[in-house]
Amino acid sequence: MQTENEIVEKLCGEFGFLQDKIYVQRQKRIFTGFLAKEEFEQVLHYAHDELGFYRASHVVGTDEGGDLGFIYLLSNEDGIILALKEKAPKSDPVINSMTDIYPSLELHERELVDLFGAVVEGLPEGPSYPLPDGWPKGNYPMRKDWDPKYFDRNTMTYNPPAGGAGKEGGSK
Amino acid sequence: MSKKFRRNRIELPIGPQHPSLKEPASFRITLEGEKVVNAVIGVGYNHRGLEKACESRNYIQDLYLIERVCGICSHTHSTAFCQGIEELAGITIPRRAAYIRVMVAELERLHSHLLWLGVAAHEIGFDTMFMYTWRDREKVLDILAEVCGNRVNYGINTIGGVRRDVDEAMLQNMSKMADALESQVKYYLDLALTETTLSARLAGVGKLSYEDALRFGVVGPVARSAGIAYDIRVTEPYAAYGDIPVDLVTDTREDVLGRTVVRIKEMLVSLNIIRFCIKNLPDGDIAVKAPLRIPAGEVISRTEAPRGENIHYIRSNGTDKPDRVRVRAPSEANWRGVKHMLEGGYLADVPITIAAIDPCYSCTDRAIVIDSGSGTEVKDWQSLRQYSISWYKKQGIDVSAVKIPERKYY
Repeated sequence: MQTENEIVEKLCGEFGFLQDKIYVQRQKRIFTGFLAKEEFEQVLHYAHDELGFYRASHVVGTDEGGDLGFIYLLSNEDGIILALKEKAPKSDPVINSMTDIYPSLELHERELVDLFGAVVEGLPEGPSYPLPDGWPKGNYPMRKDWDPKYFDRNTMTYNPPAGGAGKEGGSK
Repeated sequence: MSKKFRRNRIELPIGPQHPSLKEPASFRITLEGEKVVNAVIGVGYNHRGLEKACESRNYIQDLYLIERVCGICSHTHSTAFCQGIEELAGITIPRRAAYIRVMVAELERLHSHLLWLGVAAHEIGFDTMFMYTWRDREKVLDILAEVCGNRVNYGINTIGGVRRDVDEAMLQNMSKMADALESQVKYYLDLALTETTLSARLAGVGKLSYEDALRFGVVGPVARSAGIAYDIRVTEPYAAYGDIPVDLVTDTREDVLGRTVVRIKEMLVSLNIIRFCIKNLPDGDIAVKAPLRIPAGEVISRTEAPRGENIHYIRSNGTDKPDRVRVRAPSEANWRGVKHMLEGGYLADVPITIAAIDPCYSCTDRAIVIDSGSGTEVKDWQSLRQYSISWYKKQGIDVSAVKIPERKYY
């Protein structure tokens, strides 16, 4: 069994850029700060191939102001969770799908597309999830600037007041 | 593969009316003869935007929303949410509250597994077993109603502990129920292991190997039936599980029969946990005061729901409302595995294979309500039986001569 600190040491030894960006939050929880796309992918592959993080439980999308955040939760057989964070600007929210190594993430990554407006390249074809057919394009309800009170469920349109909150409507 | 053979493929849409349970999901199944060669699963029909709603409400209001993520395993969600907030706020709940959380969690597991066993039996045409298990489930729900005030959506958890205490009479009833249920559960285990109808219908169906279970990230009884020893109650004990011996049940059958055996054995484990809690329930308070504003931070909280690992991610920004809440319910983790289980199987096995991951649906009915013209009448178990006998008599069938054997508890 590897301890949380041993895992952090190995990761820091392999990736110098992690030095100030990774910490043991508590027993069985390791968090990183937000990483750039290339850095994130290197760490994720290493965690899978070398550190035994075979299970990917979850991807949490977050709104970080000008950016979108993506928190990938990986776990190993001891139940240690490695929360790897990736960031992409809202103006160009493109990330690569990790479903080739973690097929379990398909549904979670589809959710990032529908609810946050992320562009996930390499995601297998399939039905969208979870928004219904006919949902207006450019509306990403989990972004902070999207306010449900301006959404008309009958006409399926988003009508924010001119110049008011939600003007962006989460459009990218 | 020859072009001629490919032309013989048929695409069959199933759903969104659910082929096995009462919740919507669509399945686009491609068949070659009777064999499934491809399955595309469409879910999301019931997405209610709870996570967005949580961001505009305070933590106490959110607790009531989170409890309604699932009608069957509502307690596991409120437990995960509460313990996440408690971790952020640096609160330690009283031991008595931790034990009560465990008791309700195990009662919830019992009623959920009994419900599943009935549904699975119904799916394969074994309706007698369906009626037996659902009758037994009523006894667990009666105890939950006595302890929590509700049969589902128990409302027992609060941030800082639990809202209701248990008294001696409740513990005695719980103990009686555990004794009565144990003999029934052992009978179901015997049935699953020896009854040829069950093994002929379930063995080899919905296969998922150890490697595939790991790759597709399945959780709970689906993972454990493939030999993966993964149970949050053991891996990362929460509430009072650190004090309580929990036997981790695994199986190596890797099929629906394995999932059935794991769930039945887990019920016996749950009964032992409940007995341990009754015997060792600490005295003291049931809750501590929690602040309305939760310090800024992020937390990942996990519980073992009846269907598997349940993960809540909560991020606080220092106010009384969360910045982000994300719930990863166990069924969400199991869908990718279902696709693999369906492919290579037969069309007739599709409903039981889907049902075998125990996808959630809500159940809130407690008794039949009959409008007699002068108001409503609520029927209990005995009067419901009398009603059905007289109903059949009117159809010319007299079943009153059928005697139900005396039981110790029922």
